[in-house]
Amino acid sequence: MTQLVAVDNKNHLNTRVDLSKVAQHGAALHLVPVVLSEFIHLAVQYPIVLTKNGNTGQFVFSAMLGFEKGENLFWQQEQWQGLYVPLQIRRQPFFIEASIHQNNNEQHNNELTVCLNTESPALSNLVGEALFEVDGQESAYFRDVKANLSLLIMGEKENELLLKSLTSMELIQPISLDITFANQSSTKLTGLYTIDQDKLGSLTNDQVISLYHTGLLPSIYAMVTSLGQVHALIDLKNKRLN
Amino acid sequence: MSNLIKTVVVVGGGIAGWLTAGRLAAKHKAKDANGVKVVLVESPSIPTIGVGEGTWPTMRSTLLALGISETDFIRECDASFKQGAKFAKWVDGSEDDFYYHPLVLPQGFGKGDLAAHWLAKERDPNAPSFSNDVCFQEAVCEQGLAPKTIRTPEYADVANYAYHLDSGKFAVFLQKHCTTALGVRHILDNVTDINTCDNGDISSVVTLEHGDVEGDLFVDCTGFSSLLLGKHYQIPFKSCRDVLFVDTALAIQVPYENEHDEIASHTISTGQEAGWIWDIGLQHRRGVGYVYSSKHSSEEQARAILAKYVGETFDSLTVRKIPIASGHREKFWKNNCVAVGLSAGFLEPLEASALVLVELSAQMISEQLPQTRDIMDIIAERFNETFLYRWEKIIDFLKLHYILSKRTDNAFWTDNRNPQSIPESLKESMALWRYRAPADHDFTSNNEVFPAASYQYILYGMGFKSDYSQTAYALDDVDFAQHHFAQNVKLTEKAISTLPKNRELINKVIEFGFNRI
Repeated sequence: MTQLVAVDNKNHLNTRVDLSKVAQHGAALHLVPVVLSEFIHLAVQYPIVLTKNGNTGQFVFSAMLGFEKGENLFWQQEQWQGLYVPLQIRRQPFFIEASIHQNNNEQHNNELTVCLNTESPALSNLVGEALFEVDGQESAYFRDVKANLSLLIMGEKENELLLKSLTSMELIQPISLDITFANQSSTKLTGLYTIDQDKLGSLTNDQVISLYHTGLLPSIYAMVTSLGQVHALIDLKNKRLN
Repeated sequence: MSNLIKTVVVVGGGIAGWLTAGRLAAKHKAKDANGVKVVLVESPSIPTIGVGEGTWPTMRSTLLALGISETDFIRECDASFKQGAKFAKWVDGSEDDFYYHPLVLPQGFGKGDLAAHWLAKERDPNAPSFSNDVCFQEAVCEQGLAPKTIRTPEYADVANYAYHLDSGKFAVFLQKHCTTALGVRHILDNVTDINTCDNGDISSVVTLEHGDVEGDLFVDCTGFSSLLLGKHYQIPFKSCRDVLFVDTALAIQVPYENEHDEIASHTISTGQEAGWIWDIGLQHRRGVGYVYSSKHSSEEQARAILAKYVGETFDSLTVRKIPIASGHREKFWKNNCVAVGLSAGFLEPLEASALVLVELSAQMISEQLPQTRDIMDIIAERFNETFLYRWEKIIDFLKLHYILSKRTDNAFWTDNRNPQSIPESLKESMALWRYRAPADHDFTSNNEVFPAASYQYILYGMGFKSDYSQTAYALDDVDFAQHHFAQNVKLTEKAISTLPKNRELINKVIEFGFNRI
């Protein structure tokens, strides 16, 4: 359950977040949305792929954590066993809500509010990091939370830019992969997409230069390299099966 | 060489004109200096007919060949998805009388004779119908579901589909694409005369304000007036009214009661006393019309029947009366002139054969466009053979729907079963099918329009029985049959649990669009 309320220093003066429990939010995710600014960190451990949003059909950049719904192979012994935890997990249990306020001048302002999921298992009144100092000032931890949330918001725009380039240059192709695990069970990966390396290799000079100048080239190569992590993921799955 | 084919002039700016111009321009690079020039002359004073709101799945490959995005097409042509046709009240006219002609082939089609196994099953009244037992699409249509999801790429499908579209908007959409993206030159002017060469070829068409428009090949897309092929070349019209009796249509556009109303994802064709009513769901309205035989019904009676079908809103809507002369020209390509669309012929709208014939003609002309005048007569002869065959096969297939009916409420239905009105070719096929299901070897031409599967859906949907009692050994592949019947149950469950409502998907296409991959 997700129950969102706006954070303020009256209602949440004593609220604390138990950092050891934050990653529980991702315990049952096999795909997690990611932003371009974290590709370099993700690529050393997770395959970065494109998936389609079930509701809109539009592409989403995701890190692969498992092979089927509900399977996060990095969640072991109630802990996230990874060098880098994706921003979408670390920002929990906080969300940004955009609310449109109408002020006296009839102008519409798009205001962003930090909200808290009151049903989060990481919330506590006793242990963990406080959101506010006793005097009501934001704590260093809460400032950090807000920084992460703004990274995600900025990331959405960067993601859009990358996606636009990949689509217009026709660089996206479906992944087709049949995997047989150690116990002989097999799975066929569907609904995942990646960079078409042949097309990437045959871009025109102008296209390459435009990718270079927009700074997107490293992210594209990070996606290509990260695909090798599928083998690491298979390895994790096999260990779990044994 | 002076007899190179370097300029094609299309006369007429309806869907037939633009589709043909578009296919030619795309294939023969009209945009490039060394490509074939394509000119379309459209009369500003002649309105387009605007029939043909139903297509076949072929329209997907046609749009793709024109380089059109499916998302743009759906957004701009008021288009929706069509997964075949539901025929109501065609067999005995009772309230629960209906069957489907879906677009998905029967399970295991071409690998074995599943129809034989279906026929051999002990038939109890609650057993699944033929189309429900061998194909999952009827269930999808009955639940108002779409043939794909928003995650399915453009032109790809979960269940085979075609479109329903607004033909007026489609013509405008094609015009824009052909002139801006494909390099078709558009001349808005009236053709007043035709100039010819010594060999009888057309050298140019004379226009009021643009003078002579010269060309090496002329495509007649002038609609029923058949200006070049009919009027100029005097190619006779071959009527088939003795086979297909329908000769009048009363068409009406019915708005939805509210914008969230479901959109049927199939054409609904309901048998009436002297014909049938089409019902086609677009995004913003339904297209409805009664096609009937004026020999078997007065216009007054026909209006009353249409009014009853449409309901209360009927009185506030405008009815258009369209005469239908079923038949086609004796040939379609004469000298350097080929007719596409209504100028070539027209049949009643049952099974939506109008646009598919335009597509097939445009495809053959663009794929086999002769390089020089010397070899044009060879292509012309092949074109004529191919399309005479296709028209005849379509006439047979349409007639099949009528001869299987058991309705006796009006002479329209009983006259339709008069053997004298049934083409010999259809009689022969029916004789063979008394002992076995229609199969691919009944349709040996590579120019077939309807596959054997379509004949199966109509025959067994309408209660026809093929008698396999003398060839029971044909039923020994029991595993094959069990596997495919079971597979169909599985696919039906899966389709129903994963596909969205037709209206819901169309709304998403408008909001988000399909991805190309």
